[in-house]
Amino acid sequence: MQTMTPDQIRVLIARGKMKDTVFQALGIICLAIGLLVILLLVGDMLMRGVERLNIEFFTGFASRRAAQSGILSAWVGSLLVMLVTAAAAVPLGVAAGIYLEEYARRNWVTDIIEINITNLAAVPSIVYGLLALGIFVYTFGFGQSILSAGLTLALLILPIVIVSTREAIRAIPAMIREGSMAVGATRWQTCRYHIIPYAMPGILTGVIIGLARAIGETAPIITIGALTFIAFLPPVPFTATGMDGATAGLFDWVMSPFTVMPIQIFNWTSRPDPAFEANAAAAGFVLMGMVLSMNAVAIWLRYRMRKNIKW
Amino acid sequence: MPESLHVSTQFDEDLARLRTHVLQMGGLVETQIAASIEAYASGEVDGVRVIVETDRRINDFEKAIDDDCAHVIARRQPIASDLRLILGISKIVTDLERTGDEAKKIAKGVRRIHDAGHLPNQYGSGIRHLAEAALSMVRQALDAFARMDGALALSVIRADVEVDVEFKSIIRQLITHMMEDPRTITASIDIIAISRAIERIGDHAKNISEQVVFVVEGRDIRYDKEAIR
Amino acid sequence: MVGPPTSQDTNDKLKALKDPMMHTQDKPQLKAEARNLSFYYGAAKALKGINMPIYDRKVTALIGPSGCGKSTYLRSFNRMHDLYPGNRYEGEIRFFPDNTNLLSAEVDPIEVRMRVGMVFQKPNPFPKTIFENVAYGLRVRGLTSKRLLEEKVEQALRAGAIWDEVKDRLQALAPTLSGGQQQRLCIARALATEPELLLFDEPTSALDPIATGAIEELVSELKKRVTILIVTHNMQQAARVSDYTAYMYLGEMIEFGKTDEIFFKPNDRRTEDYITGRMG
Repeated sequence: MQTMTPDQIRVLIARGKMKDTVFQALGIICLAIGLLVILLLVGDMLMRGVERLNIEFFTGFASRRAAQSGILSAWVGSLLVMLVTAAAAVPLGVAAGIYLEEYARRNWVTDIIEINITNLAAVPSIVYGLLALGIFVYTFGFGQSILSAGLTLALLILPIVIVSTREAIRAIPAMIREGSMAVGATRWQTCRYHIIPYAMPGILTGVIIGLARAIGETAPIITIGALTFIAFLPPVPFTATGMDGATAGLFDWVMSPFTVMPIQIFNWTSRPDPAFEANAAAAGFVLMGMVLSMNAVAIWLRYRMRKNIKW
Repeated sequence: MPESLHVSTQFDEDLARLRTHVLQMGGLVETQIAASIEAYASGEVDGVRVIVETDRRINDFEKAIDDDCAHVIARRQPIASDLRLILGISKIVTDLERTGDEAKKIAKGVRRIHDAGHLPNQYGSGIRHLAEAALSMVRQALDAFARMDGALALSVIRADVEVDVEFKSIIRQLITHMMEDPRTITASIDIIAISRAIERIGDHAKNISEQVVFVVEGRDIRYDKEAIR
Repeated sequence: MVGPPTSQDTNDKLKALKDPMMHTQDKPQLKAEARNLSFYYGAAKALKGINMPIYDRKVTALIGPSGCGKSTYLRSFNRMHDLYPGNRYEGEIRFFPDNTNLLSAEVDPIEVRMRVGMVFQKPNPFPKTIFENVAYGLRVRGLTSKRLLEEKVEQALRAGAIWDEVKDRLQALAPTLSGGQQQRLCIARALATEPELLLFDEPTSALDPIATGAIEELVSELKKRVTILIVTHNMQQAARVSDYTAYMYLGEMIEFGKTDEIFFKPNDRRTEDYITGRMG
């Protein structure tokens, strides 16, 4: 090949740069389409529901009159269900992830387990609901409670937590692990002082993303029979309940009936009265806000914790 | 001696160049010795001037080769056989330069005898024989270097014993002669000087051979009478 | 009254002159010995029947071309291979003075690693504080007293020739140090637990010449107290730093001897070819 003259080189570069620009433009357009859709949706909900967005909306119970219908029991319910979900999914998922990545031997059994975990993530959420109905609600007798809902959703996001944990652990360079073992540490000491702390950012991110998904799941909650018209809150521990004057225990709230944000929205959209549309839109907007802020927290946490971890 | 090549061809070229220069210098020294023997035997002193001038080239060779050795050490950090080769060359070159000086001394001695009006006397053949033995030692030592032949080098070292013996016998004869006829003293002193120079050439050839053994086998057999048996 | 030197005096002086390098007490003791050591990565035989002594408080260097098995051999000494499935040892590594076989299935690898430390090729300090890096080895041995930890950490950092540079910032994160400093920190980390044998796996190949020199200097110091086995692909480094050198090729030990002899006149032609750069 002959060497190229500077002019030929410039022509070549110009051509390449043009392709660059075209690809960049295409990328921006696709990005813009996605962003635009979200903005339109959220903006639409905001417009239609803005009249309802006031303090009473957040602190009021549902009511037959649209103007006075609030989301108190819904967002409290969502929060409590998320609490149970996290409490169940995090220890189970993280421990399972650590075991599979650090302790389990690589043979055909673990290969099958690995395949099945990814399959779990593909199971339709309504199937989880049916499973929960049979096992949690009836067989274990938890009834149609926050506990059942929390456990069901925990099962749903378990694969996400396990996979995030494994990925976070795999990202740790082998020489850090070898460095720890070389000093005479046991497997558990290496896990406790190195693997888990360094994998924390990744694990947390996975957990929060999982919860952000769970908070919007409707089908399984319906299947276990979350009541759609709830005008009360689960009993606060150590306060008197109205029923028979007895004090509520620490965990009575867990067995209480409840509702969640998606259910409330679903309920309002299925009402014939068009006034409830505004309520539904407002609640939808609030739900989007909750999900986006959870994701924002995940990003911020990961940034903060990543800062100190340099290999 | 390893005949295989370095990964660095430049290194191979450096070593080849050094060896070539040593052999060239050696060839020049051999020529000087032969010329000085010729001057002694024939009494022709025209050649003496050439011998004295050529000695400068030998000195230049020594400096150039030593300089080259230093650069090769700096560039290549030689070890094992390569290191022994460079160290050996440095010492061989010193001995070659001194051999050249001895040849110059022989030539100058011949000129002095000639200027004083004398001719080489009946010790002519004895001295000549001694000189040719020494020249042969130098040739064989350089051969041993060229071929990296340890056995040949050892034989040269053994041969030096005979040269020393012959030298001592010539001295004894000269002394006897001087005592018999004091008029020959001046000439005899010059001949003694020439003989000593020849004996030293033999010693230098031995030194060169000792270095060849060092390069080939890694043994330092200088001053070690046991080693050459 | 001082008389003329006796023949005994002269003889002694001459003996000393003859080998100025020789110290009369210099009878090397064995610290470890590989006996017919073979190693398999799965079905592939990476080490073939190695027999080699490791002398107490001396530096032994392992040299050889890439893939000759020197790192594999090194990592057998602290059972690093046990961390990965499919590896198998044959033969023994005897460790003295108790004559334990380090490779025996009855010996816990963790016990081996408590007696044998390792410094890796690329400096690998933990993403923790400088103090925590060094204290880690002590913590895993159950040492919790703050005062004792501080004392031992300082000792180790001094032994690693890095105390003066970090004594004012022990709480800084280790990865903020330069490459050479990180490696010295890793050496301090290995020294904190007072190992009997210290393994170096090409410790300076990722460092610049000055940092390399500092570490070589440190190794010369350390050998007064610890036995050292060092893998290096830099032959000048092996020549500078070690007392004994072993040349390996394709999983076999070709030659073992005093560094002075190997680099002046090796016995095996293959060793000579490798060290003078005649291979390939």
